[in-house]
Amino acid sequence: MAAKQTGNGSTPAIVCEGVKKWFGDFQALSGVTTTIGWGEVVVVIGPSGSGKSTFIRCINRLESHQAGRIVVDGREMTNDLRNIDAIRRDVGMVFQQFNLFPHLTVMENITLAPIWVRNRTRTDAESQARQLLERVGIPEQADKYPGQLSGGQQQRVAIARSLAMNPRIMLFDEPTSALDPEMIKEVLDVMKELAESGMTMIVVTHEMGFAREVAHRVLFFDYGTVVEEGTPEHFFTNPQHDRTKLFLSQIL
Amino acid sequence: MSKPTEGPVPTRPPLWRNIVVIKWVAQLGSLIALVWLAYVLITQATANLRATGIPFSWDFLGEPLGVKLSEGFNTDPESGLEALSVGMVNMIRITWSGVVAATVLGTIIGIARLSSNWIVSRIANSYIEFFRNIPLLVQILFWQALIIGVLPDLTPDMEGSRWLFASPKGIAIPWLIPQAGRWQYMVLLAVGVVVARWTYKKRIEILEREGRETHAFGWATGVFLVFLIGGWFAHPIAGVLGWLFQALAWVAGNLPVISFQWLMGGLSLALAAWFIVRYMRKLRSPAGMAKLTDDDYFRLGVAGFLGIVLFFFFVSGAGEATIIRVMGRSLTYKMNWGFEPLFNFLATKYDFSGGSPLRFSLPEVEVPTNFPRYASDAGNSMTPGFVATWLGVTLYAAAFIGEIVRAGIMAVHRGQSEAASALGLHRAQSLRLVVLPQAFRVVLPPLGSQYLNLAKNTSLGIAVAYADVVQVGQTIFNQEGQTLPVFIFWMAFYSSVSLFLSGIVNYYNRRMELVER
Repeated sequence: MAAKQTGNGSTPAIVCEGVKKWFGDFQALSGVTTTIGWGEVVVVIGPSGSGKSTFIRCINRLESHQAGRIVVDGREMTNDLRNIDAIRRDVGMVFQQFNLFPHLTVMENITLAPIWVRNRTRTDAESQARQLLERVGIPEQADKYPGQLSGGQQQRVAIARSLAMNPRIMLFDEPTSALDPEMIKEVLDVMKELAESGMTMIVVTHEMGFAREVAHRVLFFDYGTVVEEGTPEHFFTNPQHDRTKLFLSQIL
Repeated sequence: MSKPTEGPVPTRPPLWRNIVVIKWVAQLGSLIALVWLAYVLITQATANLRATGIPFSWDFLGEPLGVKLSEGFNTDPESGLEALSVGMVNMIRITWSGVVAATVLGTIIGIARLSSNWIVSRIANSYIEFFRNIPLLVQILFWQALIIGVLPDLTPDMEGSRWLFASPKGIAIPWLIPQAGRWQYMVLLAVGVVVARWTYKKRIEILEREGRETHAFGWATGVFLVFLIGGWFAHPIAGVLGWLFQALAWVAGNLPVISFQWLMGGLSLALAAWFIVRYMRKLRSPAGMAKLTDDDYFRLGVAGFLGIVLFFFFVSGAGEATIIRVMGRSLTYKMNWGFEPLFNFLATKYDFSGGSPLRFSLPEVEVPTNFPRYASDAGNSMTPGFVATWLGVTLYAAAFIGEIVRAGIMAVHRGQSEAASALGLHRAQSLRLVVLPQAFRVVLPPLGSQYLNLAKNTSLGIAVAYADVVQVGQTIFNQEGQTLPVFIFWMAFYSSVSLFLSGIVNYYNRRMELVER
């Protein structure tokens, strides 16, 4: 494992122990146990309906888990609002459908949370936003509205919006699935750069190239649990589990 | 080069197959039919009315009514027009306060309906189902019955002031009673709003240019407060307007008789010219002038033709004759009659007088004989008719607005509030900054029609004897027999109010539109 210790103290970034979640009768997560270290890039793959998205949505409490423990940066995710707030401030998320705010400009999208949640001044937040737009490669789009941008540009704005809160962990929920093929690369490039800068990342994706190149560890999900995990090298060349072999034979 | 292949020689099609001709004939034909229909209807109506012995006339507007109104700024009007003005003001009073109250209540109910708190959402749901499913007229009658039948009567020992009175005579609440200086104060407040807006824009400009926090909203509020407080003492300076209104009254009073005809004639020409210029501008693009189609020629031609015809119609005196024939009186006369007193009236309101523009006052019960009643100059005593109508239209509209607000919030994609949560915004922040601004966009058009409904529903106040424009108008035509003019008056008034309201809503609708590619 190539995890670096960049967090405060010795607690890992994320600890999950036997996390379970039901939607009515349907069990979406049936006991997920894993530990993610600081600076680690974890790629989650698996067939649709296997609970990948539900898993990362539980980490910042967009879904609540019903059994087991989730500990983020030493804070256990409970019903305590203060804990939830603290965790959400430290954990950024990028969605499949971008979910930019269409009534706000790109600049306003990025500065909204820093101003209202972190109580930063507008000028301060705006200068940071300009740096972030520079970093994701679209400094000239600051005054446009999301509806005027291409899908790839929108997703890069969404990444900049998350980064504006200075998160220490980033969650990506199929960030390239809604994009045209030629736009996927520009988003993956930004994510690669982010991974190289030492960000702790959990990425749900179908981009096997990205997994192979960037991931420190791959989790394979099926039926709401981690069926197999390992380094990309091990995972793609020497899978152990039959289900994994079947999945890989279908997509590669 | 070989000879081009022989094809059918293009010939002019016969007239009945030529689409250009067909289009022109159809357009001209429908225009002529429309004018003819209007002419027939009007001449028929005037002839029939003459035959009944009550010729169409607006004279009642100037004649004394001889009836007292139950409430309004003038309960003893001297003329029909004054009585109708009281009715109009009463209608507008209920409409604007109803619109504000129904919007606030409806928004709360719409949000409560979506609450995850079971009890709160059930209460909101019951409210909506209850008020939406009972006819408004029944509700208004119910509120009246409640006020008259259930509230305890005033007794002589209640004499004196209190914060609240509720009795079958109506409900009385504390009020800021306008004093003589209020007209001047209002002008200063209006100026304050304009200056505050200007300040806001300037501060934002500085912020954008220099990139430092300029507290634009704080500045604007401060400027308005200066006018709000300073105006309280400095309002006599607005008395200058008195001179302006005196001058305008003098101009209106000295208009030559012909001026009205030339005004209308000039207006016709100006309107036609304006239409043509605007139409041509629309056809012009950076690439040059678009080619005019037959349709364009038709519109431009009709506009120019109508403008010239109307001009000669008004200027030649034929217009004057027609107006006298239809209205029973010359409109030139009415023009002076209307504006000179109006400006004179306004001039009397602006006269450099000091004193506080508003006075706080508690409601008071007086007992002049053995029968206690509300003192007319203390607090705000609202008649049962007003309270019942107001409650009826407001609570009814709030139920519909609640559903509209709920639809608006639900129309905002779930991902929006998820993204807001993931960024660490609280539920209230996410609602205010992300969800509601987007919901507002969806909500505006149906909200606008709900406002129009509320405005028009106030006419049901006639059932509880609320002296709005319908009730006053009905009194007039019962007395004078002038049904048609009163109906024309009503329709013109309600249309103006509705158009004004939808104009405001459309303005905001345009401003809220999302920028798409």
